[in-house]
Amino acid sequence: MRENLTKEEESFLAKWLDGTISDATLKELVSEQDFIDYKKIKNGLELLDELNRPVAPSFNTLYNSIHKKRNFKNTQASFKWGLSIAASILVVLGCYFAFNFEEITHETSYAEQKTISLPDGSEVVLNAKSAINFTEKDWRNNRTILLKGEAFFKVKKGSTFSVQTPNGLVTVLGTQFNIKDTDTFFEVVCYEGKVSVTNNKKEHVLSPGNAIRKIDGKDSEKHDKENSLPSWLNGESSFVSVPLKYVILELEKQYNIQIDAHRIDDSIIFTGSFSNKDLKLALVSVFKTMDIQYIKEKNGVLSLE
Amino acid sequence: MIKDLNNICNQKVFEKLFNIHAKDLRRFLFFKTQDMDTAEDILQDAFIKLWDNCNNVNPEKAKSFLFTVAKNMFFNYKKHEKVVMNHQKRTLKSSNYETPEYLLVEKEFLVKIEEAIAALPDKQKEVFLLSRMEKKKYKEIAEILGISVKAVEKRMHLALLEMKEKIGKV
Repeated sequence: MRENLTKEEESFLAKWLDGTISDATLKELVSEQDFIDYKKIKNGLELLDELNRPVAPSFNTLYNSIHKKRNFKNTQASFKWGLSIAASILVVLGCYFAFNFEEITHETSYAEQKTISLPDGSEVVLNAKSAINFTEKDWRNNRTILLKGEAFFKVKKGSTFSVQTPNGLVTVLGTQFNIKDTDTFFEVVCYEGKVSVTNNKKEHVLSPGNAIRKIDGKDSEKHDKENSLPSWLNGESSFVSVPLKYVILELEKQYNIQIDAHRIDDSIIFTGSFSNKDLKLALVSVFKTMDIQYIKEKNGVLSLE
Repeated sequence: MIKDLNNICNQKVFEKLFNIHAKDLRRFLFFKTQDMDTAEDILQDAFIKLWDNCNNVNPEKAKSFLFTVAKNMFFNYKKHEKVVMNHQKRTLKSSNYETPEYLLVEKEFLVKIEEAIAALPDKQKEVFLLSRMEKKKYKEIAEILGISVKAVEKRMHLALLEMKEKIGKV
């Protein structure tokens, strides 16, 4: 310990701890080893602050993410409450659905996925920020769905099944396929059976492993072997030769973030994938490979350079 | 609405459980992941899982449910991270990307700090807690305690000296 401390110096640790004096100044006042020790203590104290910070904001986030589920749970619990009431509700619901001519809409928000069973047992898995819309009336003979965004379809054999999107009409008999339709990006991938795609009054027939794509009005067909299922069903978004612009859009949808790309060329072609579960990993796997720097701004926007 | 005070599906019960366990769980996860954001993410997922199973979990068992679920989620996260990292190692030819350095803080070290704070002489402890926990400025502490700012700073200074001694010795 230093012997000849002056009056001022006797409180230098207090001043350093509250930021009045800098690390550099402290380094001049104590030995190197002491400085490291104090720095470690300070880091530890800051970490303790972090760990002890209130959990209320965290609860708000949680509350929002389970808000939809809560409504669902409540209905479920009310079944327990009185079976008789539940039974009568079922009868009423049954009548309601039997005569239901109204449109049914399912929607997903950012970072959300939803599996929907259709009246005939066909299945639709909606990716984030997507919506489907259909009527239950005469479903067995007229299976038509409106789609915005991206979805994977597993269709039971039966009458013609059509998906209408702003960019084209997709018709099948019984098969598995994936459609992605955003404003200027349209892609259909066939995984099983045969899929017919009509856009610009042209008809394309896809066999398993084939895909058709339209970006900014330009058609292209590719025939490479795809996986047996779209990767986003397993929590990953994959891209094969897609302009970076659409990769960024997908990142924004999957994580509900904003990305500012005006400083980079977002038309460069990207091939690869990112995780839909871990933002940090996702950012590394997209931008690291493209040699792009990303910085989180104060307002939460991620800007690229 | 569920009124039952013994059912986690009751939102009040759920919120109470969150307030009781969230901090401990967050701390536990931080030491596992060494990353505050990841810890927070897993924390959220664990509580969502608790909510999904609110009819099947007894409130007394909530704590062990949460920690078990969180632990499994952490293992899955690690496994996934490893796969992704390996994949990247294979696909990337070269990169000059520097991994962000982070300070590995061990649990034991934080426990030592907490013990050192607890062992401070009363006068120093009082000032130290007002400053660190209540986030009061030295000037405000001086007003609260009716002493000079210089005296507050001196006590803080001594508290830090004392803590370093204590932590260095253990």
